[in-house]
Amino acid sequence: MLTMWLKRSFLLLGLIANTTMAVTVKDMKGDFTLEYVPQRIVALEYSFVDALAIVDISPIGIADDKDKTRILSAVRQRIAPWTSVGTRSQPSLEMIASLKPDLIIADIGRHAAVYSDLQKIAPTLMLKSRHDTYDGHLKAASLIGQVVGHDAQMQARLAQHKVTMAKISHQLPQGIEVQFGIALDDYMALHPGQSYVGTLLQSLGFKTPTIVAQESSSVHTGLEQLLANNPEYLIIGHYQQPDISTKWQQEPLWQLLQAVRNKHVYHIDNPSIWSRSRGVLAAEAIGQTLVSLLKP
Amino acid sequence: MKLPLPTYLAYSLMLVLLLVVTFLTSLFTWSSFPITFNDAVSTLIHFDEQSIAQHIIYDIRLPRALLAATVGACLAAAGVIMQGLTQNPLASPSVLGINAGAALGMATVSTISPWFGLLGTSMAAMIGGGIAWCLVMVLSSAWRVGDDNGRLVLAGVAISALCAALTKALVIMEEDQASAVLSWLAGSFANSSWQRWSMFWPIAMFGLIGCQLLTPRLNLLQLGDDNAQNLGVSLLWVKLGGSVLVLFLVGSSISVSGSIGFVGLLIPHMARLICGRDHRYFLPMAMLLGAILVVIADTLSRAIVFPLETPAGAILALIGAPFFIYLVKKRTV
Amino acid sequence: MNTKALPILVLCVLSLFVVNLMFGAVSIPIAELLDGFQPDSANYFTLHEYRLPRAIIAMLVGAMMALAGTLVQGVIRNPLASPDVLGVSHGAGLAAVVYMTVFPDADIGWLPGIALLGGLSAALILWWLCGQHSSAIKLAITGVALGALYASCVDFLMLVKPLEINNALLWLTGSLWGRGWQQLTTLLPWLVLIPLAFWLAKPLNLIVLGDESAVSLGVNAHSLRLISLATAVGLTASCVAICGPIGFLGLVAPHLTRKLVGGRHQVLLPSTMLVGATLLLLADLAARTIDPPIELSAGIMTAIIGAPYFLWLLFRTK
Repeated sequence: MLTMWLKRSFLLLGLIANTTMAVTVKDMKGDFTLEYVPQRIVALEYSFVDALAIVDISPIGIADDKDKTRILSAVRQRIAPWTSVGTRSQPSLEMIASLKPDLIIADIGRHAAVYSDLQKIAPTLMLKSRHDTYDGHLKAASLIGQVVGHDAQMQARLAQHKVTMAKISHQLPQGIEVQFGIALDDYMALHPGQSYVGTLLQSLGFKTPTIVAQESSSVHTGLEQLLANNPEYLIIGHYQQPDISTKWQQEPLWQLLQAVRNKHVYHIDNPSIWSRSRGVLAAEAIGQTLVSLLKP
Repeated sequence: MKLPLPTYLAYSLMLVLLLVVTFLTSLFTWSSFPITFNDAVSTLIHFDEQSIAQHIIYDIRLPRALLAATVGACLAAAGVIMQGLTQNPLASPSVLGINAGAALGMATVSTISPWFGLLGTSMAAMIGGGIAWCLVMVLSSAWRVGDDNGRLVLAGVAISALCAALTKALVIMEEDQASAVLSWLAGSFANSSWQRWSMFWPIAMFGLIGCQLLTPRLNLLQLGDDNAQNLGVSLLWVKLGGSVLVLFLVGSSISVSGSIGFVGLLIPHMARLICGRDHRYFLPMAMLLGAILVVIADTLSRAIVFPLETPAGAILALIGAPFFIYLVKKRTV
Repeated sequence: MNTKALPILVLCVLSLFVVNLMFGAVSIPIAELLDGFQPDSANYFTLHEYRLPRAIIAMLVGAMMALAGTLVQGVIRNPLASPDVLGVSHGAGLAAVVYMTVFPDADIGWLPGIALLGGLSAALILWWLCGQHSSAIKLAITGVALGALYASCVDFLMLVKPLEINNALLWLTGSLWGRGWQQLTTLLPWLVLIPLAFWLAKPLNLIVLGDESAVSLGVNAHSLRLISLATAVGLTASCVAICGPIGFLGLVAPHLTRKLVGGRHQVLLPSTMLVGATLLLLADLAARTIDPPIELSAGIMTAIIGAPYFLWLLFRTK
C-alpha cells in the first residue's frame, strides 16, 4: 500500500521535474538513489542549508529551531523564505509531510531513530553533520550537489571555495598554533583538533595544541588545562559578557599564557558562526574574521 | 556502640594524617606540567615567584584542594544534620531535592538569556536549592511531631523529578548551553581560585561550627520527637536552625563546585559505622571523611582521562555505589 | 462506589483521541479525518502513519503507567508512592544510556529491548537487596536510593561520552516523538498484564485494611504484594522502553481517580487507566500544539501538568 503510494508520488514528481535522470550516491545508510531532480527539499541541519545555498537552491523547509536568525546571514540572503519544521533534535514530522517534499536531507547523529518515518514521507539522504570535520562537510556538500542535480555548479563552487580559502590562508601567518574556545559565565570549552573548527584551522595552515588534537567533541577546560595547552594564539567566542575569561584575567596564571604575554588573545562576539553553522559559507566567514584578526 | 576516648582520638589522628597525605598528593599529581613533590612542599613553605610549577600549585591546586576538602566536610556535615533532624537514613541533599532544585536554578539562568547579569549562576543555584528544600520540608510536613519518614523521601523524589524534568526541557531547548549545564550538574572543582575560596570559607566555617553546636540536640532527637520535647528541646527551633545551617552549607558548596551528590548520603553512615551514634563525636569524623573522599575524587577526576578531566561528582557516584549497595544489604539503611 | 464517572471518562478519552488526530502542526478538519485513512489521501502520512499510532501509544502508555501507579500505591499504602520509587524507570534509563554511549553506531531499533532489560534488572536488584520479607516502605526507600544511584551513573556516562548527549537526553525526557506502528507492536504483548491487574483488584481492597486483617480474611498479603509489584514493574518497564521515563503520570493519575470514583479497586483500576490515557493524550497534544512546529517532550508536559496538582494535593492532605 505504502510502496504503491510512494511509486505514485514518484511518478507525479517525475512529471513535475520533467527531467529524467538517476543519480546514485553513498550516504550513511548505504546506496541512495534518486530518479528525478528534487524541487522541494527539506533540510534538517544548518550545514545542509549552507550546501544548498551555495548552488542557489532554496529549501522549502528547514529545521531552524523556529528562529530564522539561527541561519547564518550569508546563507539567509541567498535563499528564499522557508517554512520552519521545528527543532533539529525533534523536527515535526507532520510539518515535513505537509510540505510534500521530494527530498529530505537528515543528520545521522540526530535523526537515525526516525529514518524509516522520513523515508515514508520522501526519499531521505542521511549524512553526517554534527561532529563531522571540515573535509567531511565539503564532501557532504559535493554529495548534496550530485543529488540535487547541480553537480557541475557545486564542483565549480567548491573549487572557487578552495581558491578563496587559499587566498585567505596566504594572508594569514602560517604554522602557528591557534585554539578556539567558547566562554560562558562559568564554563569554557575548547573546540579540539578533530572538530569542525579545529580541522578548518588546520586546513588554513594552523596547528592545534597537542593535548586536544585527537578529540572531536568540545573539551571543558579549566585554567590549568588551558595553560597546559598553552596555544600561541587564543580566540575566544563570548556568548555573554562578562564571562569566565573576564574572571580569569584577574588570575596571575592567566598572565603566564603565551598568547596573553604576546597579546595574541582575540575576542569574537558572535560565536555561533563558529560553533553552530558549519559549512562552506560559514568557513569563508570564519576565514574573513581570521584575516581581520590575525593579518600581520 | 560507643568508642572509648583514646581509640576515638587514635582514629581521628589517623584520618587527619590521611587527609594531609591525600591533600599533598592532590597538589602535585596528574598535571600536564612537570610538578614534583618538592615543588608542592616548597610552595607551602617558601613560595618562589619565578617558578611556573609553584605558581600552578599556589594559584590553582592549593585553592582547589582547599575547596574540595571544605566542600566535602560541608556536605558530610549537612548530611549528618539532615539525617539527624529528620531521623531518616536517606535524608541528604541529593535525595531531598536540593541538588535538583539548584540545577534547575542554574539551568534557568544560563539558558534564558535576558537574565544574564542579574543573577550569577551560583547565586541562582543557591536560590533554586533553597526553594526546593523549603518545598520538600513544607510538603512532607517534616515540622510536625512524630510524622512518618517515608513521606519526606517521597516528597523529595517528587520535587527532584519535577526539577529534573524542567532542567532537561531547558537544556534541550538551548543546545549551545547544554554541555555547560551538564558539566555543572556533575560537579567539578576545575574552576577553583583564591577568589572563590575567600568567598566560601567564612560561610563554610560558620556552618560547620554551627553544626557542631547543634549536636547535643540531635542526640536528644534520636530518642524520638516526643521524648526530645519532654527533655526540653524546642523542636521547631532545632529544626529551623538545622535547616538554615543545611542551606548555608549546601548552598555555598553548590555555588563553588556544582552539584556533588552522594557525599551527604554516604559519609554519615560511614562515620556512624566507625564511632557509634553520638553526634558530638561522629560529626567531626564525618567532616574528616567527607573531606578525604572529595579530595580523592577530585584527584581521580584529573587522572581518569588524563590530561583531560572528568567531573568529580561523577567519580564520587561511582566510588559511592558499591558502598551504598553494601549499606542497603546490611540493612543499616 | 461511584461508577457514574466511568462513561464520562470514556467519552473524555474518545474525544481527546479524535482531537489528537485533528490537531498538530497542521490542523485537519474533522470532515476530512476519515478520508485521510485512504492511502492516496494527502493526509495519509500525517494521519495513518504518524498521528494514529502515536495517539494509540499515548493512550496505552498513559493507561498502563496509571495502572502501575495505582497498584504500587495500593500495595505500599502510601499516597506519595509511584512506580518511580521502584527504580525501574531509572534502571531502564541507565541501560538505554549505556547502550547509546557505548555503541553509538548501533541500531537504535534495539533501544526498547535494552531499556526493558534494564528496567527488569533494576526490579530484580531491588528484590535481591530487600529480600522477600521486607516491609513495603523499606522497599520504596531502597528503590528510591537505587534510583538515585542509577541517575548518577547516567550523569557520569553522559559527561564522559558527550557525543551522544543529545539523543540520550531526548530519550530520558520521555517523548512520543517519532513513535509509530513498530513501537506499538512491541508494546502490545504487555497488555496481558492488564487483566492480571484487574484480577488483583479484590484482594487489594482487603490489603488496604492492613496486613493482619487481610490475612484473617484469607489473603496472602506477602504473595499479593509480590505479584502486584511485579505487575507494576512489567507495566512500567514496557512503557519506559517505548517512550522513555514519563514522570508524574503514575503518581498523579491514581490520586485524581480516587477523588473521582473512590477507593474500591474494582472501579478504581479501570477508571485510573482512563484517567491516565486522558492525561497523556492531553500532554502529547499540548507538546505538539503549544508552539508548532516545535515538538516538546510529553514527559516534560506531564511533569508540568502533574507537578502543580501533586503539590496542591500534598498541601491539602496534611
